[in-house]
Amino acid sequence: MCRIPASQAVRMVRCFMIKNFFESVGRYCLFLKMVFRKPEKWRIFWRQFVMEADKLVLSSILIVAVISVFIGGVLVIQTASNMSNPMLDRMYVGYMVRESLVLEFCSTMVALLLAGKMGSNIASEIGSMRISEQIDAMDMMGVNSAGFLVLPKILSSVLLSPFLMLLSMALGILGGYLVVEMTEIIPTAKYISGLRYSFNGFYIFYSCFKMSLFCFFISSISAFNGYYARGGSLGVGYSSTKSIVTASILILMFDLIVTQLMLY
Amino acid sequence: MIRVEHLNKSFGTFQVLKDISVEYEPGKCNMIIGKSGSGKTVLLKNIMGLMQPDSGEIWYGDRALSSMDYHERQQQRRNVGVLFQGSAIFDFATVLDNVMFPMEFFTDWSRAQKIERARFCLDRVEVTGVEDRYPAELSGGMQKRVGIARAIALNPSFLFCDEPNSGLDPHTSILIDQLISELTSEYNMTTIINTHDMNSILDIGDRIGFIDGGRMVWQGSKDDILETDCPELKEFLRSNTLIRNIIG
Ligand SMILES: Nc1ncnc2c1ncn2[C@@H]1O[C@H](COP(=O)(O)OP(=O)(O)OP(=O)(O)O)[C@@H](O)[C@H]1O
Ligand SMILES: [Mg+2]
Repeated sequence: MCRIPASQAVRMVRCFMIKNFFESVGRYCLFLKMVFRKPEKWRIFWRQFVMEADKLVLSSILIVAVISVFIGGVLVIQTASNMSNPMLDRMYVGYMVRESLVLEFCSTMVALLLAGKMGSNIASEIGSMRISEQIDAMDMMGVNSAGFLVLPKILSSVLLSPFLMLLSMALGILGGYLVVEMTEIIPTAKYISGLRYSFNGFYIFYSCFKMSLFCFFISSISAFNGYYARGGSLGVGYSSTKSIVTASILILMFDLIVTQLMLY
Repeated sequence: MIRVEHLNKSFGTFQVLKDISVEYEPGKCNMIIGKSGSGKTVLLKNIMGLMQPDSGEIWYGDRALSSMDYHERQQQRRNVGVLFQGSAIFDFATVLDNVMFPMEFFTDWSRAQKIERARFCLDRVEVTGVEDRYPAELSGGMQKRVGIARAIALNPSFLFCDEPNSGLDPHTSILIDQLISELTSEYNMTTIINTHDMNSILDIGDRIGFIDGGRMVWQGSKDDILETDCPELKEFLRSNTLIRNIIG
């Protein structure tokens, strides 16, 4: 029997993975090219845009609101309990809660949440249309199926997600305020003056930008995986899982890159 | 007219279509028949351009499919009506919106005109009173008929039907066959039908190609199919009791 040495086998697997990776990136770029073709009819595009905005963004408001309020409250308690040093002004609790929410939580954490919610929604919807030949049917009519199905999803999530983030910030701060009011862990006036201390408007822009970028990854990657789903309902499940994992990893990677580029 | 020249198609090492050459004329019901798994759907998808052949060429009139760029192909597809084996009507739209879908994109008709046309198409396939239902609320046969209504919505020059009457009761089945046959001669469409339904073959098969093991082993019409010498076709036909009694 012919035996392949372990080192060679490892090298072959590595080559295969690298080839696969570049193949996927190439296909993803070609897919985006199809998606960003000019829509056949703008009226139909806007109708889809409004529907997708409702399905992807508006329907996420409740879950985002709930976790924002709770995380805001928890952040206040944790920060206050870690700043028991009497030398530190209690105002800094409000300041740090605001900075955590604005810089990281409301964009990155909310985006990770949306990767699960929006990503699985998009991948499974488009994937099941693929395996039931609905996408082929659309293509055979001469309609650009990728443009019709995916472009409204990408644009509505990219353009509207910053509002979701602003809402999350406001509710996070409110959640902190409620905890301060109810527990008197720090004086309310200190919390509020902390919130207003050394405010940098650029951080809001930075967070909005991150959120839009992350939502672009979520919507385009899950649409890509759904669009090329194969192998029946198992394939749809696989494409949905793959979308969430890939989008989450990209979100964390680009969080680091964008932060380094914009804040340092 | 559609011409297929020396078409080959494999999946991995498994060759599904082997050197298929055939011509489909307008105004006739052209049929592709064969056993389950013989490659009918794959052939039709290659003709439609949804699959790339390994070698060979498909001609629509004097244009080769492989020489068309994106815009030409989109333009050409607007002339095509397709019924897929699994209906493939859109889950996100009601019956009426499904039939109106191609009209939304490619006509400037008013909404009333589109609704009128959609109702007309639905009437022709005898689907009435369910315009506002979603596909999930229809029976399989109804979905198929809605699929046909959508395929003929814009009077295409080419009509491709993958098993139009599988899953239909005999009455509706005949109705669909008659409808396809009427439309084909009325609008001089080039129609290609995949089927293994004996009634359809003997009723409306103006030109029939029999595929066995990936090869087109017999071509003829409903008038000479029962007199065939081709042993594979004979065996295929014998699966129908009535025909078995006739051809022995
Ligand atoms: N995407 C694919 N990948 C691999 N093999 C395929 C694929 N599509 C079809 N085949 C194979 O090609 C052969 C022909 O399939 P096809 O769907 O054309 O059969 P058919 O004649 O339409 O059968 P039926 O009457 O049951 O619809 C089958 O053996 C099938 O396994
Ligand atoms: Mg088939």
